[in-house]
Amino acid sequence: MDFLRRPGLVPTLGVLAVLAALVLAPLLTIMGQTLGSAAWGDVLASRLAPNLFWRPLANTMLVGSAVALGCVLIGGFLAWLVTMTDLPLRRVIGFMATLPFMIPSFATALAWGTLFRNDRTGGGAGLLQGLGLHIPDWLAWGIVPTVIVLIAHYYALAFTVIAAALGSVNGDLVQAAAMTGASRRRILFGIVLPVVTPALLAGGSLAFAGAVSNFATPALLGLPVRMQTLSTRLFGMIEIGQTERGYVLAILLIAVSALFLGIGNRLLAGRRSFATITGKGGRGTRMALGRAKWPLCAVALALCLVTTILPILLLLAASLAPQSSALFSGWTLHFWTGAADPAFARGQPGIFQNPQLLTAIWVTLGVGAAVAVAANAVGLLTAIATTRWRIPFLSETANQLGFLPMLLPGIAFGAAYIALYGAPIGPFPALYGTPLLLGLALTAATLPYAVQTGRATIAQISGEIDEAARMTGAGFFRRIGAITLPLASRGLIAGLLLTFVSVIGDLAIVVLLYAPQTPVLSVLSYRYASDGFHQFANAVTLLILAISVIATLAANMLRGRKESPE
Amino acid sequence: MRAAFASALALFAALPAFAQDNLDTLDNAALLPKAQAEGKVTVYAFTSRIGRVETAFEAAYPGIDMVSFDMSSTEQIARIKSEAQAGLPGADVIYISDAPVVMTELLAGGLIAPYVPPRVAADLPDAMKSPLLAQRLSTKVLMYNEESYPQGAPVDNLWDLTTPEWKGKVVMVDPLQRGDYLDLMTEIVLKSDMMAEAYQAQFGKPIQLASGVENAGQQFIADLFANDVVLMGSTDDVNAAVGAKGQSAAPIGFTSYSDRRDNEDEGWALQVANDVMPANGIVFPALLAVNPKAANPAAARLAVDFLMGDDSETGGDGFKPFYVAGDWPTRSDIAPHPDAIPLDQFNGWIIDPAQTAQIRAEVADLILTLQ
Repeated sequence: MDFLRRPGLVPTLGVLAVLAALVLAPLLTIMGQTLGSAAWGDVLASRLAPNLFWRPLANTMLVGSAVALGCVLIGGFLAWLVTMTDLPLRRVIGFMATLPFMIPSFATALAWGTLFRNDRTGGGAGLLQGLGLHIPDWLAWGIVPTVIVLIAHYYALAFTVIAAALGSVNGDLVQAAAMTGASRRRILFGIVLPVVTPALLAGGSLAFAGAVSNFATPALLGLPVRMQTLSTRLFGMIEIGQTERGYVLAILLIAVSALFLGIGNRLLAGRRSFATITGKGGRGTRMALGRAKWPLCAVALALCLVTTILPILLLLAASLAPQSSALFSGWTLHFWTGAADPAFARGQPGIFQNPQLLTAIWVTLGVGAAVAVAANAVGLLTAIATTRWRIPFLSETANQLGFLPMLLPGIAFGAAYIALYGAPIGPFPALYGTPLLLGLALTAATLPYAVQTGRATIAQISGEIDEAARMTGAGFFRRIGAITLPLASRGLIAGLLLTFVSVIGDLAIVVLLYAPQTPVLSVLSYRYASDGFHQFANAVTLLILAISVIATLAANMLRGRKESPE
Repeated sequence: MRAAFASALALFAALPAFAQDNLDTLDNAALLPKAQAEGKVTVYAFTSRIGRVETAFEAAYPGIDMVSFDMSSTEQIARIKSEAQAGLPGADVIYISDAPVVMTELLAGGLIAPYVPPRVAADLPDAMKSPLLAQRLSTKVLMYNEESYPQGAPVDNLWDLTTPEWKGKVVMVDPLQRGDYLDLMTEIVLKSDMMAEAYQAQFGKPIQLASGVENAGQQFIADLFANDVVLMGSTDDVNAAVGAKGQSAAPIGFTSYSDRRDNEDEGWALQVANDVMPANGIVFPALLAVNPKAANPAAARLAVDFLMGDDSETGGDGFKPFYVAGDWPTRSDIAPHPDAIPLDQFNGWIIDPAQTAQIRAEVADLILTLQ
C-alpha cells in the first residue's frame, strides 16, 4: 500500500501508458511477426550472417561511436564559445551552428562527392582530383567520409542540446570559483563540464542514434567500396521483399545500440544530480577570451561555413543547373517557376506551378507544428516523471522507451506502425490513410529529441522551488504551468524547434504513412528525385530548408527576449 | 422446391462475380455511361508520366476525374497490402513494374485482378496479356559511353566484364537494394546454359565451376563481384558514372536503355551495347491491373483501355508519354519508335516473372555472401 502512495506514481504510470501505446506496441508487433521465423537463424548464424549482420554491425557501431564523439567535441566546443565566452559574432555562429541539422544529409554527402570524388565511379572526378591531387579511395569512399559527413550533419544536434544546458548554468557557481582564484581551465573542467554532463550525454546519444539509423549517407558514400551498415542492409531487405529479415535487423539494431548507449552512459556519468537552476542566482559574466578571441572566432566560423553554406550553395546550384554534370553553367529558374514546356525538362513545369505544392506546404506546416507540440508535451512529462520521482524500474523504463524510437530507422518505424494500427483494433477503425496515423508515428519518432532536451533542462531545475510551491498547496499541473514551464522555456524552445525541423524534413516514415490526398513537402521532393527530376527535388528541399531557417530565427527571437534581463 | 430454392440462392451468390465478368467483356461504348456515372478513377502509377496521361484522359472523357498518384513499385506493393488489410478501396487502377513480386504477392493473393481491354486483346501476344496485362517493355541492360568508345561497344561478351581489363570498371545499382537489378542477376542464373556457351566462346575452353557454385550463371556473378564491381545507390548515379562526357576510359554499366533519351539534357553519351553474348541484360514489363474491389470498376477499365493507346500508328494521347526510344509498346499494331533498336533485334532476355520469383531469394543470398 505504501508503494501506491508513493509521490509521482500516478503521473509516472500515465506517462508509461502513453509511451507504451506510441513506442512499445508497434515494436512488439514487429517482434511478434518475426517470432519463430527462420530469419533469426539466417541473420545470426548462417553462411549469410557475416555479410548480412556482423560486418554491417561492426561498421554501424564504428560510425555511431565516431560520430557521437566528434559531435560532442565540435558541438560542445561551439556551444561553449557561444554561450560562455565573449566571442565576437557569437549570435551569428550560434544561429549557423543549428543549420546543418536542417540540411538533408544527402546534400552534405553530395557536397563531399563534389570535392573528393575520385575516378572509382567514373563520371568525371571531383574538384580536388580535377586540380591534379590524387584522392585515395579511403578518403573518397567508405567509412571515413561517412563519419565526417555525419558529424557535419549531426553536430548541430549536440550543439543545440548542450547550448541550451550551458545557457542555464548558474552564474553564481562560476563567479564563486573565479573569486576564489580558480583558473579558466579549472572552471571549465571543474564546474562547467560536470554540470553539463547530462547534456553532453544527451547530445552524444542523439548523434549516435542518428548516425546508426542514417541511410542516405552510407548509401551514397559507402556503396562504391561495398561498405554496408545495418540501415543500408535493412533498407535493401525491405526493398527486395525480404521483410522478415529486415525486421530482425531492425530489432537487433535497436538492441545492440541500446546496449552500447547504456554502457556508454554508465561509464561516463559519475554523479547523477545536476540541479543548477535554483530559486535565486543570476547570469554569469562571460569568460574573456583575450588574445585567443579572433583565432577561435575564425575556427568557429570556418566550421559553420563548411557545414552549412557549402552544401546549401551546391543544393542551390543543383536546383538551377540543367545538367547535373555541369552544376555551374546554364542556370535557369525554370525548375522553380517555369511553365510546362514540352521541349524542356521532359515537359515538367516548375515547382511553383505544381498545384500540389501549396497543399503540401500547409499540410507540412500543420503536421510539423502539431507533432512538435504533442511530442514535447509527452517529452516534458516523461522528463519530469523520470527526474523528479525516481521510482525504481518504472522511471528507467519510461526513460528507455522515450529514447528507443531514435534507434529505429524510419522505414522500419513506418512498417511497424502500419502493422499495428493499419487494421481495425477492436471497436477502433483502422487508422491507415488518415493524417492521425502520420501524426502519431511522427510524434513517437521525435520523442527522443523532446525527452532528451526536456531531461537536460529539467535535471538542472532545482527541486526547492517546486517543493516550496507544493507546500503552499499548488497541484501538479499548476506547478508545471507556473514553475517548470517558464524555467524550462529555453530548453523547451530548443526541443520544439528540433522536433519541428526533423518532422518537416522526414521522409522515411512519412513515405509509407501519408495519405495520397494530403501530400507533404518531403514526399513531393522524393517523387521528383525518384523520377530523375533532380533540379525540382532540390528546389523543394531548399523550400523545406527555408521553412526550417525561418522557424529557427523565430525560436532565436523568442529565446533572445527571454535573455533580455542580461 | 428445396432444389429450386437452393439454385436461386446459388444464382444470387454468383451475381457479383457475374457482374464483374460482364464489365470485363464490355466495349468502350458500353463502359462509358457506367464510368460517367462513377465520375472518378484513382490510379497508382510508378512513373511521373501518369500526370500527362491524367490531362489527356480528362480531355478525352470529360466528366470522369482521374486522380493519379506517382509512387514506386515497392511503395505501391506496401500500400496495396495495407489498404486491403484496412479495408480501404485505395486505387482502381494499378500501373506497376517489379513483376516477380507483383505476380507472387499481389496477384496470387487476390489483391489485384487482371483485365485485358477487348479492343486490344487481338493485338497482344499471349505472354503480354497473361497472367497480367503488360503495357510496355522496359530494360536493365549494358550501356557504354559512346564518346569514350567511338568505335562502338567495348565488350561483346558478358564474360568480358570478369576480365582484368574491366576490374573496378563495371558499375550497377546494388542488387540487394533495387529489385530490378536482382531480377537481372536472377535472369543470368536462369540462363546458365547460355552463360556456359558464352564462356566457351570467350575463353575457348569449357567453364570450370568453383566449389560450392552450382552453375555458370552463379559463377559469373561470383566472378563479377571478385572483379571489384562498383555498386551504387540509384540508376541516376550509374548513368552519370557511365555516361558523363569528357572521360577517357569510361566505366561500363547496367542501366535503362530509355535513359538515353536524357543524353542531351544531362550531357551524357549513353549508348546501348547490343551485340553482346549471350545477351546484354533484361527486358521486363510495365503491368496494368485493376482492383478486384474497385470503387469505380467501370472507369478503371476505361482508364486501362486509355493507357493502352488508341488505334493510331503511335497510340495517340494515352500512350504518348510512353512512346520513347528504349521502351517498346506491347501492342503489335503500334509502330516501334524510329530512334530505337526494334525489340526483335534487341539482344536482351525477356524475363519470365514466375520463374524469376522462384529463385530470386536464392540469388539474393548468393550475392549476400559475395559482398
